[in-house]
Amino acid sequence: MPPLSLLLASTAPTSEAHEVPMSITLVFTALLLGMILCLAFEEKIHAKKSLIAGVFAVVCLLVGTAVHILPFGPVIVGGHEIDMPIYIPAIDWGVIAIILGSSLFIDVTSKSGLFTWIAIKLTKASKGEPRRLLWLYGLMTVVFSAVLNNVTAMLIVGSLTGVSLKKLGREQYLLGFLLVEGLLTNIGGLLTLISSVPNIIVGTAAGISFVEFFYKASPYVIVATIVTIAMGVRLFKIEALPDDAAREQAAAQVQSFDENDGIESQGFFWFGTGMTVLFVLVIATTSVLPWVSDLGMGFVALGFAVIMLLRYKSSVDQFYKGLDWDLLGFFAALFVVINVMEHAQVLALIGTGLAWMIGLGETAGTALVLVSASAFSSVTDNIPLAAMLSKILGNMGTPSTDPKWWSVVFGANLGGNLTPIGSASTLVAVTIIHRYKLELSFAGFVVKALPYALIQIALAVGYVLLVLA
Amino acid sequence: MSTLDHFESAFRSASKDTFTWAPPHIRKILVITDLDAEASAQFQASLEQFLASALASVPGGAATPQWRLVKGDDYALISELHRLVEDWAPDLVCTYRNLHSSAWALEFSLGEFVDVLTQATPVPILIAPHPKRADAAPHALRDTDVVMAMTDHLTGSQRLINFAAAMTQAKGKLWLTHVEDELAYARIMQTISKIPQIETDLARKLIREKLLQQPTDYVEACRAVIIPQRPGLDVRPLIVMGHHLSTYRQLVRDHRVDLLVMDTKDEDQLAMHGMAYPIAVEIRDIPLLLL
Repeated sequence: MPPLSLLLASTAPTSEAHEVPMSITLVFTALLLGMILCLAFEEKIHAKKSLIAGVFAVVCLLVGTAVHILPFGPVIVGGHEIDMPIYIPAIDWGVIAIILGSSLFIDVTSKSGLFTWIAIKLTKASKGEPRRLLWLYGLMTVVFSAVLNNVTAMLIVGSLTGVSLKKLGREQYLLGFLLVEGLLTNIGGLLTLISSVPNIIVGTAAGISFVEFFYKASPYVIVATIVTIAMGVRLFKIEALPDDAAREQAAAQVQSFDENDGIESQGFFWFGTGMTVLFVLVIATTSVLPWVSDLGMGFVALGFAVIMLLRYKSSVDQFYKGLDWDLLGFFAALFVVINVMEHAQVLALIGTGLAWMIGLGETAGTALVLVSASAFSSVTDNIPLAAMLSKILGNMGTPSTDPKWWSVVFGANLGGNLTPIGSASTLVAVTIIHRYKLELSFAGFVVKALPYALIQIALAVGYVLLVLA
Repeated sequence: MSTLDHFESAFRSASKDTFTWAPPHIRKILVITDLDAEASAQFQASLEQFLASALASVPGGAATPQWRLVKGDDYALISELHRLVEDWAPDLVCTYRNLHSSAWALEFSLGEFVDVLTQATPVPILIAPHPKRADAAPHALRDTDVVMAMTDHLTGSQRLINFAAAMTQAKGKLWLTHVEDELAYARIMQTISKIPQIETDLARKLIREKLLQQPTDYVEACRAVIIPQRPGLDVRPLIVMGHHLSTYRQLVRDHRVDLLVMDTKDEDQLAMHGMAYPIAVEIRDIPLLLL
């Protein structure tokens, strides 16, 4: 275990030029807590994430300038000194590029009808049998969460679940299906480096490649998926169809779905399919591809988005309008806040807490980081948590092979399953549940989701300690 | 949450209505007239000839159905006629408009007997052109080579389509017709044009396309089911927007229809469903089957 003084020193390499009084650090800690609380109660205060983080970014920059903790001056880019506002280099533009590019790419590709085609094909493959349907929808949720993003995956699978269960006359299973799918989005979100934002942030900070991330995370994802669906079948009493007549009727009902209904052009459908496969392949091999490795995953995502947009060259603005600007604005503002917190020594202060946890020993420390990250991300956004912890771990000089990176990844993702506000995709699941006039309160969600979340977190602790450590 | 709505709409659109083949069993046919014995027998004979080919090709139907003739002097009151129908429980009633009334020469009603029969009994009523009128279409009551099922809501109208398919003779042409109300559409579009949040031109195009696409898809589903059961039948879609009455008249005239099949029952009202009554009143030159 590294000595505490060394850890503290290493958490703030950019602010070594000046001492920050503890009172100022505490003021900024209060600001950070205020932002986290506001994000946790985003729905209650009727304010979007980007605005909340934006307000705190403005306040932090003003206060930070007033108390002289911000290092103003030129920035060195490629050996050249460039004058740039302090909040510009504070933002991790690589992460923003990945999110912007992949959102655009997925949005345009979904117009090809590819994802609805896959979803309907799987529905037909289930023959309308509820248990088989839950298994297939569960697997689809995981794969879509891994390839797309958790929210889009939940939107696709959740909306199809509503339509197909209604068609099959099995509305009584809606709550169980939607809840299990919501929980599985956060499992699928663990599969690849680009499956969720915490993965991108932590993976980029740790220097974990796409392929390494995939082969280290996938065994856990497989086991957790099987356990979650099996529990869903049992706890929500998803019954098999009673006889051949019921099976025949259900099969006929799902056969009436037309998977080609959403395909406007066969050519664009196959182009979208090819590009999706190619996108995954190029992202997976970015670190070894000549030229591309220098440009990074953000370039790959933006490049593929631009190619797909050629199909809609005269109306690309519709896709720009459809972008989640709230999310992008939130990231930008959040990076600014975290940067100021770093200069105010707040991250160093949190680092003492983390150092205490790590100080409990490799096993207990790693486990505690994972559990506390889960607990923290269950009540607020997991992105600030991931950004903060990865910054602290990076400043500590933690090697990419250290299991604590994985504790942050697993904790930040799985904590979202403890409460309905823990992740955007579970919030979408709850929104769909309420859309179908099903009763599910905050406490009701926690009670129903707790067995799944606890088992998933326990499995993750075991996996990180026994396999990844 | 617009993205959720986007995917839900895509899946709802992909969820197509299915058609189940359930042809009617026509074993007992009741012929009602207000004529004397000889004229009544003549009327029944023309009906037997008219329906012979169709009844012979109905799967599961009786090759030679049982016919019963009720003449003018067998009943005097509506209640008596109603009881007669209920007691014998036919699968099909054949008659004509304005029974026991001189109003047949005018063009303003079906007459009280037919009015009540169509609504008070679940039995389909075939209304032939009046035997005394000379303006029946030249092809009327000859055969059922061209049958048209017509409605303003074709999707899910399984009974209507099954009856129409059953009444079409072998190798005949079955038109599955859906007339979308142009006036109702225009009214909705006028409202949409006053809502700034909805792009009017796009809404006009997409709503029109979807309104016509749904019945078109349903006809495809029907065709896929009917053809294996009735090989040789020519099942065609006729999906249009129009002003109901004039459009119906025009379509019937354009396609030389031998039998027009319509739904008349409406769970929400005692009177005939939607446009069925005015159409039944106005289209007098060909037989109509009112379900």
